[in-house]
Amino acid sequence: MSREQYQIPTGSQQTFAAGGSNTVATSTNREFETGIMHYTCGDCAARVPLEKGAAIRCQKCGARVLYKERTKRMVQFEAR
Amino acid sequence: MPRKQPTEEDLERRKIVSVNAETVTDVTSTDFPGNWPGENHAWDIEKVIRDTKIEFHQNEPAEASFSLIGVDASIANAFRRIMIADIPTIAIEKVFIDNNTSVIQDEVLAHRLGLIPFTGGREGLDNFMRWLPKPKDNEPIESTYFDYNTISLELKVTCTDNPDAAPGEKDPRKLYNHGHVYAKDIVFAPVGRQVKYFAGEDAIRPVNPDILIAKLRPGQQIELSMIMHKGVGSDHAKFSPVATASYRLLPTITILQPILGRDAEKFAKCFPEGVIGLAKVTKEEAARQGSGYEGHAGELKAVVVNPMLDTVSRECLRHGEFKDKVRLGRKRDHFIFNVESTGQWESDAIFLASIAHLKEKARKLEQQVVDMVR
Repeated sequence: MSREQYQIPTGSQQTFAAGGSNTVATSTNREFETGIMHYTCGDCAARVPLEKGAAIRCQKCGARVLYKERTKRMVQFEAR
Repeated sequence: MPRKQPTEEDLERRKIVSVNAETVTDVTSTDFPGNWPGENHAWDIEKVIRDTKIEFHQNEPAEASFSLIGVDASIANAFRRIMIADIPTIAIEKVFIDNNTSVIQDEVLAHRLGLIPFTGGREGLDNFMRWLPKPKDNEPIESTYFDYNTISLELKVTCTDNPDAAPGEKDPRKLYNHGHVYAKDIVFAPVGRQVKYFAGEDAIRPVNPDILIAKLRPGQQIELSMIMHKGVGSDHAKFSPVATASYRLLPTITILQPILGRDAEKFAKCFPEGVIGLAKVTKEEAARQGSGYEGHAGELKAVVVNPMLDTVSRECLRHGEFKDKVRLGRKRDHFIFNVESTGQWESDAIFLASIAHLKEKARKLEQQVVDMVR
């Protein structure tokens, strides 16, 4: 499977067993299934929820520049 | 071959590295350290035990200073290298970043986290924690993660405005909540038997809680989890248990002819404080013929008090009045170690562990030699 192919995140990939038996999974699922995406206003930095097809506009200040938020997918790094 | 017994002077000379005005001589060790032609220097355990000494000058958890006397440089250097590169510690190895909207890049943040020294209960670190084994082929790396080789940590901070801040406040630490992210914000998440080994006082924690990891402004967030493994300094410096592990040779200062009066004061100033002292020439010394003190009873003379404090700057060799009156050198078999721990081990325990490690290496080598000739 290609790395770029999109997957719906299903919590953290990091799992490890305790004493060889029970697995532990840290799960933090987000408001992903609701269809509402959040953007950041380029003017007032407010968090703007947008539905599909809604006008691209900040509800607070009316600015038309919205930034995409950082990916919600976990990114793994080596601490080196 | 006729055997000539070496004189006392010979024995003393062999132990000294000469430090002259322009040169340093007798620096090299021989192929067979401690062996001289025509003399019997067969290795003898009794002799080694008799000649080898360790004297501690300072022994605190964070820093130790001690003398290792009567061994060859190769042995002393082996201890130093083992302390730096072969004594295991735990350190953050992987960082799983869920969110990081701060100005510090993910890679840089992960690197900074890796370098933070951690500590925890000795029993758990020494006897419970083990090495992370290599996963079998086709198996994911997580398949080898168990409570006895992986420690997980979490860091979740969000910066917000502090409503209680005084108006006109400029200090970001008071103006915002979590404006600075410190090592103490890292939370230990025990798994399985870690609950038992790293409970209460023994919890896995940063040695220095006030290490600054990142700076945030309101609305910025860092949310990540980390895992730690056991490793050695030869793999990455973050695993090294020591900040410094170094040695120097004991300086020697030999006053060959008397240095008196004003000259003695000047001579003392050529050295760091406490190395050279001033003493009165006694009547007996003044009375002795050929001592150089005749007729100088009651005058001040220079005496060596504590050569260990000397930095061997050779300043005294620059002045004509001390020509041929003093000889500087270093003792070849007296190593003054300085070991500074990063906090996971006690500094003296690092040295003891290095001895055990060298022993273990020697045992393995012996076995391999035995296998080789079989």
